[in-house]
Amino acid sequence: MSITYSCSHLDTPHAPLPPSYPSSSSSYHSLDKLYFCEECDSVRCDLCVATEIASYFCPNCLFDVPSANVRADRNRCARSCFSCPICETGLSITASDTSQKGTGSTSAQAGPPYTLVCSGCKWSSKEVGWQFEKPTGIALQLQKMNTQADLVQSEFDALKDHLDSYISLSTPTTSAPSSTRSTRNPSRHISHITHMAQKALHREVGGMVAYSVRNKRSATKDGQDVKVGWDELGEYEPKESWRKAGLERGSQEVDALREINASGSEGLARLEKRWAKSYDGSKMTRDSLPQRIPLQTKLTKRCPHPNCRHLLIQPDTKTVRMKIKMVAANYLPLVEIGRRRRRLPNSEIIESPDQMSSEDIERRRRERRRTRGGIPVREEDEPLNAPLKAGEVYSYQIALTNPLYDPIQIRLTQPHQTHKAPSPKFHLVIPTPHFTINALKDAWAYDEEDEEDDLVGVGSEAGFSEEGTAITSTTGTGTETATGSGQGTLSRKSRLSILSSGKNDRRAKDREGGVEKRGNVSKVNLELEILPEAKGQVEFDLEIRYTYRAEDLGTPTEKEGKTSSSEAKTKEEYKNFTFWVRVKVGHIS
Amino acid sequence: MGAFDPLITYEKGTYIETDTGNKVSRKATITGATNIILGGKSIIQTGSILRGDLRRSTAGQHVVISMGRYCLIGEGSIIRPPGKLYKGAFTFYPVRISDFVHIQPNCIIEAGQIGSGVEIGENCIIGKFVITKDLAVILPNTVLPEGTVVPSMSVWGGNPGKLVDTLPETYQETMEAKCKSYYQRFRAS
Repeated sequence: MSITYSCSHLDTPHAPLPPSYPSSSSSYHSLDKLYFCEECDSVRCDLCVATEIASYFCPNCLFDVPSANVRADRNRCARSCFSCPICETGLSITASDTSQKGTGSTSAQAGPPYTLVCSGCKWSSKEVGWQFEKPTGIALQLQKMNTQADLVQSEFDALKDHLDSYISLSTPTTSAPSSTRSTRNPSRHISHITHMAQKALHREVGGMVAYSVRNKRSATKDGQDVKVGWDELGEYEPKESWRKAGLERGSQEVDALREINASGSEGLARLEKRWAKSYDGSKMTRDSLPQRIPLQTKLTKRCPHPNCRHLLIQPDTKTVRMKIKMVAANYLPLVEIGRRRRRLPNSEIIESPDQMSSEDIERRRRERRRTRGGIPVREEDEPLNAPLKAGEVYSYQIALTNPLYDPIQIRLTQPHQTHKAPSPKFHLVIPTPHFTINALKDAWAYDEEDEEDDLVGVGSEAGFSEEGTAITSTTGTGTETATGSGQGTLSRKSRLSILSSGKNDRRAKDREGGVEKRGNVSKVNLELEILPEAKGQVEFDLEIRYTYRAEDLGTPTEKEGKTSSSEAKTKEEYKNFTFWVRVKVGHIS
Repeated sequence: MGAFDPLITYEKGTYIETDTGNKVSRKATITGATNIILGGKSIIQTGSILRGDLRRSTAGQHVVISMGRYCLIGEGSIIRPPGKLYKGAFTFYPVRISDFVHIQPNCIIEAGQIGSGVEIGENCIIGKFVITKDLAVILPNTVLPEGTVVPSMSVWGGNPGKLVDTLPETYQETMEAKCKSYYQRFRAS
């Protein structure tokens, strides 16, 4: 049981493919995840919006990391946030010698060395020999410790130094203008990249291009043969030979296998633990170290349309509020489905779903149409999630909630399918395709209504049928039917608009074919006849078109008009917006 | 929102309604009631336990549990202030719960702070001094170890709890509407 809304991505809005096409599911999302671009007047989803990172923060210490530091910190928290190598919980810093001597208050003073302790699984960094002098800046302390100790790190540093000297050799000259670069330059493709990097960094990148061009020039000047190639490097002498480490004989592997043998399968670190680790990969659990916690981001989202690019979401870095929030929930009516009822078999109709021919179905449908008018059909409420049965007729209620401060008018249809679709498993009847929804009001107005409700109980007036009428209401017919307090009547009546004047307070509860209204919610019925021998998932698309009042001609896309301006006699204009929802009703058992 | 959500009824007389609209079950165990502040329109359901008596040991008035508006403490959930050794003495610290916080049944909450618009699913254990920022979801059956920080707009699940997802930007409205709707639907039969 779910209702999802279609996003046609960058296409012009169109009816999506029918549910029988699995590929159509990618354009459906729940309403709360959709955005709305006012400029393009269309729905946008997470798949199509353009995102930019607005800010980075550490999810553990909630520190806002300046984006300039993020790369140097390798996208992880550079303060004291580490995750447990066993359970990935954030580690807490604990002073180690709290309860060494007695229980006196003085001896319980926390002091160094500090360790990282996991509050989830009680893992302690003592196990890997990590102890710290200060309780702050653990990552920095660790970096110092590691750069001194780690053999691989020192090797890497040596290599970096070696390459640095090479780069600095070539930098002192002023950057060679790219125009002088000869096309026969062997490093053309590389110099291209360097050139781009230079542009990106706004400074000269020492290295390939400058070096090669300079080299070439000097070579031609001196009339010498080009001896030093553009990629020629001095020889690097590694600090430690791999031969010394015993890699030749594979003794490391043998050791590892021995360890695995000794520890059993539990000693082996799980794959997801090893993914996050760097190149130095030991497979053992005891070798896995705490990792700095990866940073999280706040995203800015933009309309993907190349001519639009308007901001849809702009987060505030400090609070949870958004500076700009253009979400579809503020523009499109919320569609909900509920109140499932199964039609009880009429004694007159012979129930034999096995031998149902198309004639029978036709007859039954006629029957249903006839009965809907006069004789109440016996129906039974059913849980919404129970499996459906083939050959039964179900009726649902579909509720639409108006998010706008103006009444809107709805047209509910089944989308016209241009594509070939397999014959459906059911027949869907929408008895009330046209109806209106009242405007969204301030919260206090609803509270008032609820109070009225409490007084009156369920205000079930004989409903009026809006069936098949486009603009039904005539102004001024709205009589306060609620017997309770008539407070707010005047203000409500004074707000006469073409769409829904006077009916604001009618809680019409016409069960058959009518519209049930309450506040800014209208409910209508849907009838679903599952064909016999149907199987599988029942889902269908609905096309919903709503007509709203655009404020004035100046801002045609402005939708959230204020109710006060309706009295100010602005030039009224009506606009349509069409969207598609997919309703998943359930499985046929 | 919630056009088809059914009423949640309770037997008349089993809940006490305060002036500010709080609905407190007579069968909820509330100790140290003078140390508990309810913001109004909050629901404390049957079988839940609020330990207001676990107060700071020093003299004077201390607020132990403070709760905002439109909160829900589900059936059988326990709110217990966190405590720890500080300078050699064991002390309890207050629990601050903001507005629009739903705590589903059978949870154990020892958090230090729960921000507004937080939903905690069934059977969760929220460890001592956990800080939950505004707008977060803790999935059912999650265990958050001591001192975990749950940032805004995140979804946590598992044992031990991990960040598993982020929330859509509309979540604030969704959650507020949900909490209000729940309060409205929770009435005597």
